[in-house]
Amino acid sequence: MTSHLTHDEIRELLAVYALDAVDDDEAETIELHLRGCPRCRAEVADHRETAGALATGHEQAPVHLWDNIVSTLEEAPPLELARLLPLRAPRERRVWRVAVAAAAAVLIGVVGVRVVQQGDQINRMQSALEDRTVLAAALAAHGNPDARQAELLSADGVVLARAVLVPDGTGYLWSGGLPLTDPDRTYQLWAIVGTEAISAGVLGPNPSVAPFRITGDVTALAITEEVAGGVVASENQPVASGAVVEA
Amino acid sequence: MESRRERASKRHRGSVDVAVSRDDLRDASDAALVIAIGRWQHDALAEAFRRHSGAVFALARRLLNDPAQAEEIVQEVFLRLWGTPERFDPSRGSLRSYLLTQAHGRAVDAIRSDTSRRRREDRDAQRATAAGYDLEREVGDVIVAEHVREAVAALAPAEREAIELAYFAGHTYREVAVMLNEPEGTIKTRIRSGMVRLRSGLAAAGHSPS
Repeated sequence: MTSHLTHDEIRELLAVYALDAVDDDEAETIELHLRGCPRCRAEVADHRETAGALATGHEQAPVHLWDNIVSTLEEAPPLELARLLPLRAPRERRVWRVAVAAAAAVLIGVVGVRVVQQGDQINRMQSALEDRTVLAAALAAHGNPDARQAELLSADGVVLARAVLVPDGTGYLWSGGLPLTDPDRTYQLWAIVGTEAISAGVLGPNPSVAPFRITGDVTALAITEEVAGGVVASENQPVASGAVVEA
Repeated sequence: MESRRERASKRHRGSVDVAVSRDDLRDASDAALVIAIGRWQHDALAEAFRRHSGAVFALARRLLNDPAQAEEIVQEVFLRLWGTPERFDPSRGSLRSYLLTQAHGRAVDAIRSDTSRRRREDRDAQRATAAGYDLEREVGDVIVAEHVREAVAALAPAEREAIELAYFAGHTYREVAVMLNEPEGTIKTRIRSGMVRLRSGLAAAGHSPS
């Protein structure tokens, strides 16, 4: 029943959904829709900010709560990882991935048998480390006063991704607005330098935050959808594009 | 042998050597805090807790009417931020809204579970007896900012009632429709128009959630 909700019916429910006041089956249908609809996602985010304004409490959380939380954190293993890997903007995505793996490999030696026995956990930690480090570097670049920025818009003007470019040619792309594409497809980022579109990276089917590196005077960025693995030159229309401007 | 709690609190106290950076954290933006949490800095999580745990706790307690259950939710929400900070996307909203959204969702799940149903029925009965639902009063209890009160006061009473029953009492719009003896479509429309009115009221007052 609810799987047949039209776009208009879903839009009517977005505010209700943002207040967690829809039924479970409706929530599922709406969440599926939100994955592919940046406009509706933005509306839900607005409603949640508004609801959040109502929820400002002046009471304090009980003091022992923080003690409980800290005592749980003590068991989290990756503090050593964080110390081993100082935050630094990557020079190139692939080289950097190797560097992360190498640092984590060193750590395995450092931390010893307990971690070695937990192969799955190591994989999760490596992946978590990578996500966290990219996020941290991306947020740091965002705060760089010399950074240039781009908003990548769809043909109908919806912001699907944002990018920040620091003067050394390192850039970060937030592409949370891109709809999920098929596993055998990928998004690919292009930098427009002069009249040329230069590939700045293959982003995968469900990109979130991605670092890239591009030299030259980049005037604009564009994202296309391609076959998995990416292409040397795209023949597709961009799904999103935008000029690179001073922040 | 010292307990985990003792070691934890020792670590916490032992981090005096980063007192300077903790002072810096006090002035840090939410995005910068999440960077530091991404680097596994306890102090950054502590600062996020200092800033936002009050609102998160107040919301969970208001929904559940049970401080112990509300504490569990606060704990879960902050541990999740610690475990997966990359899920917070600063371009999609404030950290506060992100944390409140998660707390609200968890509280509503708890309310709708069978174990909590009875408690809520009791609570609803008590509240209905005491004064009925009144978002302005609810907000008056917990809200500091005058402009939020004004935005709420600008709502039509029917909108206010529907939003309060949905957001602060955790009812689905279908339940609200039954409670108020109105068509479901009417309740959907009231909630949406009320939320839009609130948002523009807050924007007009220059309210910036982040």
